Amino acid sequence: MRRALTILYVLPLTLCLAGCGSGSMRTDRTDIERLMLIQTMGLDRKGEGVEMSVSSGLGPEDRPALVMTAAASGMEAAIQRLQAYSPENQLFYGHVQYLLLGEEAAKEDLQAILAWVDRSPVMRMGTAMLIVKGSAVEAVEAASGEATDITARLASLERGQRARGQDIHSLREVAGALANGQGALCLAVETTDAEDEVLTQDKQAAAVVPVGCAVLGPDGLVDFLTPEQSLGAELLTGRPVGTLVSVDGAALELLSCETEVSGRFDENGALTGLAADCTVRAGLLEKPLDHDESSQDLDGALAQAVRGWIAGAVEKAQTLGCDFLDLRTAAMDGGSDRALRMEAWPEIFPALPVTVTVNAAVDRSYDLSE
Amino acid sequence: MDQPLITRKQFAAAIAVSLLSPMLRLLPNAPVHLAGRAAWLSAIPALGPLVLICLLMGAFRRYMRPGEGMGGLMLRWLGPVAGRAVLILYGAWLLFYAGFILRSGADRLVSTVYPSSGPWLFAAVLLILCALAALGPLRAAARTAVLLRPVLFAALAAVFLLSLSNVRPENLKPLTARDALPALAGACPFATVGAAGAYFSFLSGYVDPPKSAVRWLLGPLVLGLAAGGLICFEVVGVFGPGLAGALMYPFFVMIRDISLSDVLPRIEAVIIALWVLADFMLCVMLLRCAHEALRPVFGLPAPEGVPMRALGRGRWLLWLEAASVLVCSLAFTVPAREMAVWSDKIVPLVSDIFTYGGFTLLWLVSARRRKYERPTL
Repeated sequence: MRRALTILYVLPLTLCLAGCGSGSMRTDRTDIERLMLIQTMGLDRKGEGVEMSVSSGLGPEDRPALVMTAAASGMEAAIQRLQAYSPENQLFYGHVQYLLLGEEAAKEDLQAILAWVDRSPVMRMGTAMLIVKGSAVEAVEAASGEATDITARLASLERGQRARGQDIHSLREVAGALANGQGALCLAVETTDAEDEVLTQDKQAAAVVPVGCAVLGPDGLVDFLTPEQSLGAELLTGRPVGTLVSVDGAALELLSCETEVSGRFDENGALTGLAADCTVRAGLLEKPLDHDESSQDLDGALAQAVRGWIAGAVEKAQTLGCDFLDLRTAAMDGGSDRALRMEAWPEIFPALPVTVTVNAAVDRSYDLSE
Repeated sequence: MDQPLITRKQFAAAIAVSLLSPMLRLLPNAPVHLAGRAAWLSAIPALGPLVLICLLMGAFRRYMRPGEGMGGLMLRWLGPVAGRAVLILYGAWLLFYAGFILRSGADRLVSTVYPSSGPWLFAAVLLILCALAALGPLRAAARTAVLLRPVLFAALAAVFLLSLSNVRPENLKPLTARDALPALAGACPFATVGAAGAYFSFLSGYVDPPKSAVRWLLGPLVLGLAAGGLICFEVVGVFGPGLAGALMYPFFVMIRDISLSDVLPRIEAVIIALWVLADFMLCVMLLRCAHEALRPVFGLPAPEGVPMRALGRGRWLLWLEAASVLVCSLAFTVPAREMAVWSDKIVPLVSDIFTYGGFTLLWLVSARRRKYERPTL
């Protein structure tokens, strides 16, 4: 009996451990019907503060997405303000799938935003991150219509990227690359005007289209890569399988790509340069009717194009002084002065000779006319 | 002395569950700072010092009389004055350590799940539960550990499997011969975590002694190191060495991203709350170890078999110790950044001094004494 009573006295205390009390015994419980799950968040810099736009995603029975925007001194203050706009629902940020950063926010506040997500017990580091050319808030608002919203647009974009072997990088991947002293690549998008997009299903909503990659450095957004440079970067990391490329007017689909980057060292073990050896295989999908070149010529043209794309990405990285291609890892593997190179990499990298060799083969080059 | 024994299985479970608390406090941050991407390999060289400390504890155990723990042995070997002084030192440290565990556990809970709360409530409630468990029979606490061990290790295994898809191989490469020295340095935190098991030698009097301490502990030791190594492997693989070292609680940030499709989109609150159980067990055991260290100082009998609320047979000391732990945990108010320094550097260093340093010194200074004493086992 005494033991049972003791247990009875102690059990209520465990409720406090489970978080039902927060300093006081008030309850933090929220009915799930009252939870408004935010799925996409857009952040822009506004003056000395931020402007935040959130979208809840399409509701059941195609209810339009809830889109709200608030400006405040910081992210938490903006969240508080957004909550004030929606007193009937508890906004919940634990399921944010996409975080869009406007150009200015990416330039000025990247590290602050990453640190905020790390500290937040709700936000996730696995959230996909995209940089918007222009304003992220405008993108969230413009891409939301009656039948679609920004989350649906981005989900479709992500599926397309995946089909081409390219992932949208998460906050975790970006923060990890930056913490390792490298630069990071992040998918850049822009919105197209709804009226100009004939194929847009929802005439009220703008489309969101990829426009290459954004280069992020420790201090924030450094620059945008052109689509060709972005492709070069993807080829260097060996991922763009399924990507459609145009070479000499022919449409090719990249089927496989393997790139090995290694350091070149002199007899003393000192680094003299880098060599990128790329083997790429593509399938011919379509060639112009007046095309009379042989498949071997197409092989050569593809090799030349790939070489140009990779060289363009490397040149951009060296011009920016930002190793977003993680060439440092290859340079550290071998040689005798590794520690010295590791320390002096930012000075060594911009002037380091990089040789690109490409071995390309085009499959399905048969032709009905032959 | 007719004392109730706890089985070796229960004793091993108590050590294993308790050590999970410092394991996730020190790993993976500390090995990553020392070894970078090779942190997970640091578990291998850590086996060396841990086997040595097992050998040392086994050697001490051979000289302990039936029912006697490390406290009694220290008093016998060092004499009434030096012995008491050393035991008070160990007792005070163990109480401070228990207070620190309460506080850092509460801070972790507040930082990762309940940001609008203060740590004192968690610390106070957990201490009340710990004190009640420490005042009860040791066997009950040890049996609780037997129940908790599969739960906590299953949670670890689940986290490992569910996070595996987020591991990026490029974060773990390249590993070259040049990483050997940093990996060796990274073994220190592993060795620190494992050596905290040496405090349990104060409870040796309650356990049926094994024939060979090393043989008995080797299996759990290897498993524990493998678990620690896998935690480092996964966290570094997911975040990369730079970010893993920069995050305050990388393991708990990692589990925020775990989803079981749409059925269980988030599981981190459950996993983080489970780790309170490891803090609870360590705190209970440290309280009992501190009591076993301080009991011979005052010449008090073993507290077993006395009703929980009784103050007789020296049980007043347990209440006093629980109060000291509470004072330590509440008085320990440092900002998060300083807490990381205490957690990663100061506390592990002092712990190493007491385990590796203190016990080795005891073995050395008692050499003369051992000449005239025959091992009991």
